[in-house]
Amino acid sequence: MAFFRWGHPWSPLGDLEREVDRFLRGMNLSIHGIRPGRQFPAINIYELEEEFLLTAEIPGTDPGELDLTVDAGLLTLKGVRNDVKEIPDEKFRRQERFRGNWQRSVSLPDRILESELHAEFNDGVLVIHLPKAQQPEPRRIRIVDQQQKAISASSNADETMAPEKPSPRKIEVDQEEH
Amino acid sequence: MSKSLPGPENEPQSELAAELAQERFVFTPPIDIYETEEGMVLHADLPGVSSETLELQVQDNKLTLFGRVKPPIPEEAQLLHKEYEVGSFLRSFILSDQVDYDNISASMNHGVLKVVLPKAQRGEARRIPIATN
Repeated sequence: MAFFRWGHPWSPLGDLEREVDRFLRGMNLSIHGIRPGRQFPAINIYELEEEFLLTAEIPGTDPGELDLTVDAGLLTLKGVRNDVKEIPDEKFRRQERFRGNWQRSVSLPDRILESELHAEFNDGVLVIHLPKAQQPEPRRIRIVDQQQKAISASSNADETMAPEKPSPRKIEVDQEEH
Repeated sequence: MSKSLPGPENEPQSELAAELAQERFVFTPPIDIYETEEGMVLHADLPGVSSETLELQVQDNKLTLFGRVKPPIPEEAQLLHKEYEVGSFLRSFILSDQVDYDNISASMNHGVLKVVLPKAQRGEARRIPIATN
């Protein structure tokens, strides 16, 4: 005896397309669709009195695979998202989420205390704190009288010499316990 | 996570509607759906949503997810560069009767929701003996 079944034998979400329901359509709501074709991750930058904040939406990223570095005024965020890598492509009914490696770099304003950067990662949202450096005090330049033998210089005079190139700095990410 | 079961005394949909009306932005989260031996698995990107701020409802044959997001930055912060809006997430799905509704399970991990939709067990085919006279 032959059985006939139309369509897919196992299609529990076959009617997924009917997602937005009448009750939602009836409401006066601005429903925004999936934000397509944008860089992953999307970032926002905010300014506060004492610091800048950079936020990035990186859901599903393992904090252990997240790499934040600062080098010569360039903040680089690197990570990977592979939470469904074991699933063969033919098993997917929908594939809308980003996967794979990602990297983004942001130039920092020069008034940042690079040594004080810190970051938090909660519920897939990364927040990087970029504390502002104090504006340098106007520097008084001492005029040395040629007659005097002792040559004195301001304590900060060395800075005009070639500064040491800072090595890339790694930022530790604090994470809320789950 | 709250799981509201359908019943005459509560009307989760109208509650949800009231909550939604207060939201400034509501986004449709991107999802993945894949098949497994046991049924289907759904992943949804809900950055900023925790298990406490997620509502997952099954009513009749409809699965609705609603995730509220609290902005992670102080209100007085001035926006300098914007690539995304902070808002809530909403999406709903029609499930077929092949899903075992009573055994749907869900978890949140780093802003990703995972919903496991097990296949309902079908009865074994039974041979019907035919009596001959």
